[in-house]
Amino acid sequence: ETLALGRRLPADKPIAPQAAWGRHDGAPCRCWKGCRDPASRGGSWGPLSGAGGALEHCRATSAQTRLQPPAAWSSGVFWGLAILYWFKANSLFRYKMQHFTHQLELFPDCSVTLVLFNDVKNSVALRKKAMEGSIEGALINPAMIVDPFQILVATNKAVHLHRIGKMKTRTLNAEIIFNLSPNNNISDALKKFGISDNDSAVLIVLIEDKEKTVNLESIISQVEGHQVSLAELHKITDIAKVKKMYRLTPQEEKIGTLLDGIICRMSTKDIA
Amino acid sequence: MAGGGGEAGACAVSPPPLRGLQLVQQGAEARLYRGQFLGRAAVVKLRFPKRYRHPALEERLSRRRTAQEARSLLRCRRAGISAPVVYFVDYVSNCIYLEDIVESTTVRDYITSIQQSGKDTSNLFLLAEKIGEVLARMHDEDLIHGDLTTSNMLLRPPGEELDLVLIDFGLSFMSGLPEDKGVDLYVLEKAFLSTHPNTDTLFEALLKKYSTTSKKSSLVIKKLDEVRLRGRKRSMVG
Repeated sequence: ETLALGRRLPADKPIAPQAAWGRHDGAPCRCWKGCRDPASRGGSWGPLSGAGGALEHCRATSAQTRLQPPAAWSSGVFWGLAILYWFKANSLFRYKMQHFTHQLELFPDCSVTLVLFNDVKNSVALRKKAMEGSIEGALINPAMIVDPFQILVATNKAVHLHRIGKMKTRTLNAEIIFNLSPNNNISDALKKFGISDNDSAVLIVLIEDKEKTVNLESIISQVEGHQVSLAELHKITDIAKVKKMYRLTPQEEKIGTLLDGIICRMSTKDIA
Repeated sequence: MAGGGGEAGACAVSPPPLRGLQLVQQGAEARLYRGQFLGRAAVVKLRFPKRYRHPALEERLSRRRTAQEARSLLRCRRAGISAPVVYFVDYVSNCIYLEDIVESTTVRDYITSIQQSGKDTSNLFLLAEKIGEVLARMHDEDLIHGDLTTSNMLLRPPGEELDLVLIDFGLSFMSGLPEDKGVDLYVLEKAFLSTHPNTDTLFEALLKKYSTTSKKSSLVIKKLDEVRLRGRKRSMVG
């Protein structure tokens, strides 16, 4: 007998659970993936599979459609990439940290670069070159430096005085070294803050402006030592020597850091 | 720095080219800016040229005041009194680049807020004693501030710790005379009592702590009493 809809009910066929055909109970498939299989839509005609209805249908096909775990090789690729990026980032970071550069706010065309070297073997030759003026940077004894800010303040003042023609020394590099000193004695400053013959570490300050660019590679090649990041400066600083040089009072140590006391003396030594 | 804008002579000085620059205050004598200098938060005090002054006087006066301020700040620090660190002094444009005490409150705002909120005022007495102590140390160094008001004293955050910082040494000078120290205290007294009503007991506590901390206080307090008697509608004896 045909039904009004033109479908035939196979009434006399044996109904095996999987082979049963009939109208679904109308409940939508409760599977997570928003089943689009028409057989699982509520109220549709299709193979019945017991009371579970639509969900059972999904379960039957889920082996193919369920989210597969990633392939075994893909985790290897993921970790490999992660390690690669970590190395790259680290080396970029190290590159950025190795030489510290700052553009002076008051002199926007001027930028200051600090490079720190350890285990320096040719400090005698370097000192001679510095005295002659054949090195393009200021060579400073890093044991007397507690923070790069100290150098920036000295350099800022040196560039300012150079631009108005009122430097106390003869060259910009000597002026930077002189500005680090708490007193007004130039030769004493150059001796204490410049490099000496038996120093094993040296800090080079390079100034670049629109008239003069600096070749970092050539400077590095002239030093027989290894370039280290400025983060290592705190290991090279000799705090006792610094305290003795700047003569901080005990009351001063209570109201600020060593760096505060140093900066104050550096910036006001010409009028105090 | 006297408050209120009174730019009697227009000035054509450009502000310093710092990063994140903003004008904090415009006073009669100088302008205060805030910005980043060499990687640190800094405050710039720019003494702009005043056209109403004779140019020769103008140059000399501005330079002297700038130098005096920088020198006093150094002396203060050497004596162990908290004052901002001087980063750079520009004698061409008469600018001082100082340390910026971030998120500080003035003592004036602190006292007003405590009085208004009706909170426990015992902290105010501690504050008054702290101020007295700091002033005593300053006067013992023979340093006169010259413009002592509660707006010229800052409290580092958090305010409750009463970490006092003195600022604005533009009118400061060195003097050992009890007269000058007495006048300094008188200026503070007048400013204190007019800005914060009903604080007589606070100021008394301040003076008491001052006399116990300072070594030469008896003469100074005597002079202070004498100075109080001066002025309009006051006794002309003594």
